[in-house]
Amino acid sequence: MISIWAIFLNFLKIGAFAFGGAYAVIPLIEEQMVTNTGWMTFTEFSDLVAIDELTPGPILVNSSTFIGMKLAGIQGALAATLACIVPGMIVSLLLVWLYTRYKEIPMITEMIRTLKCMSVALIFSVLLKMFMSAVFPKGIGLTNMNILTLVMVVLSFYILKRYKTNPLLVMLMCGAINLVISLIIK
Amino acid sequence: MFKKAWLLFLNTFTISMTANSGYAMLGVIKNRFVEKYGWFTKEEMEDYIALAQSCPGPIACSSSMIIGYRAAGLAGAFASVLGVIIPPFIMMIVVTYFYNFISTNPYVRIFIDGMQAGVCAMLLDVVLGLFDGVRKLNKGFYYVMVVLSFLFVRLTKFSIFYLALICIAVAVVKTLLIKEKAEGSL
Repeated sequence: MISIWAIFLNFLKIGAFAFGGAYAVIPLIEEQMVTNTGWMTFTEFSDLVAIDELTPGPILVNSSTFIGMKLAGIQGALAATLACIVPGMIVSLLLVWLYTRYKEIPMITEMIRTLKCMSVALIFSVLLKMFMSAVFPKGIGLTNMNILTLVMVVLSFYILKRYKTNPLLVMLMCGAINLVISLIIK
Repeated sequence: MFKKAWLLFLNTFTISMTANSGYAMLGVIKNRFVEKYGWFTKEEMEDYIALAQSCPGPIACSSSMIIGYRAAGLAGAFASVLGVIIPPFIMMIVVTYFYNFISTNPYVRIFIDGMQAGVCAMLLDVVLGLFDGVRKLNKGFYYVMVVLSFLFVRLTKFSIFYLALICIAVAVVKTLLIKEKAEGSL
């Protein structure tokens, strides 16, 4: 059993650095939960990203509740969810207090910009990992390539871009196609 | 005061239950508090949203925190953040039960694996959207930040938390240098 305190501290760290939009937190979770602590496998992490997209609510709240619950039940879920929102609560109170005095804070605008640049790079890096593990599930090599997945990624991206379809629908379609084709081939 | 806090809780709770993304939520919040209750002006609301975007963690939490604080002080802030958190928290606990139950089923596994293709496409779409934001800043400096951040995560073993700290430090130094330059030219 993982201690509630350890869960709290880990999510406090994630919550404090989750700048730059909803998806920016995905790389942080991957590093902290898969690489650093080993609390999740990469497969569980990939599943979680899909679940986040399937369920309403902020990605960070959904992920922390899910992970906390898996690690230590309801108490874990409470600790993780609380921890991930505490830094944002403190910062937002601080900012609203500064705002009533100064109205504009150029240093913070600049910080948000540089952190956004960082999140582009980080999300792209996680995307590469997820892509590789989906297309080459048994390691990199031409014979191991999952061609169906590759085709689905390309087609899904085209559909998302071209028709602005709801990503949820696209993901469910991918799941359904994969299931149907694997049943036919078997 | 407490009546207002209760009203905030009820509103954020119902909004959180129905809106499926942070930005969709902001739209409804704006509508309720500006038009229905008339607690803020439209311009104030825009400032609050900009402030909320500068906070770590979910924008839904920070924006409701700021709005709650401006409407009814600390009690309002905590009431509205609770309203935002409770619905996804409860839902994710249910989802986790289901996940633990069905994720080992071979057919469900094939379905989830297929969904990963859609997730990759969706993330690619997100990254390109974020990159477009960087491109609009129209400065070589930010492109360099993206490339350096990417090299940092791929080539070094250091935690991305250090990268975030470096980005914040760069932003601070940059604003200080610009300030000095502006003062020097006077």
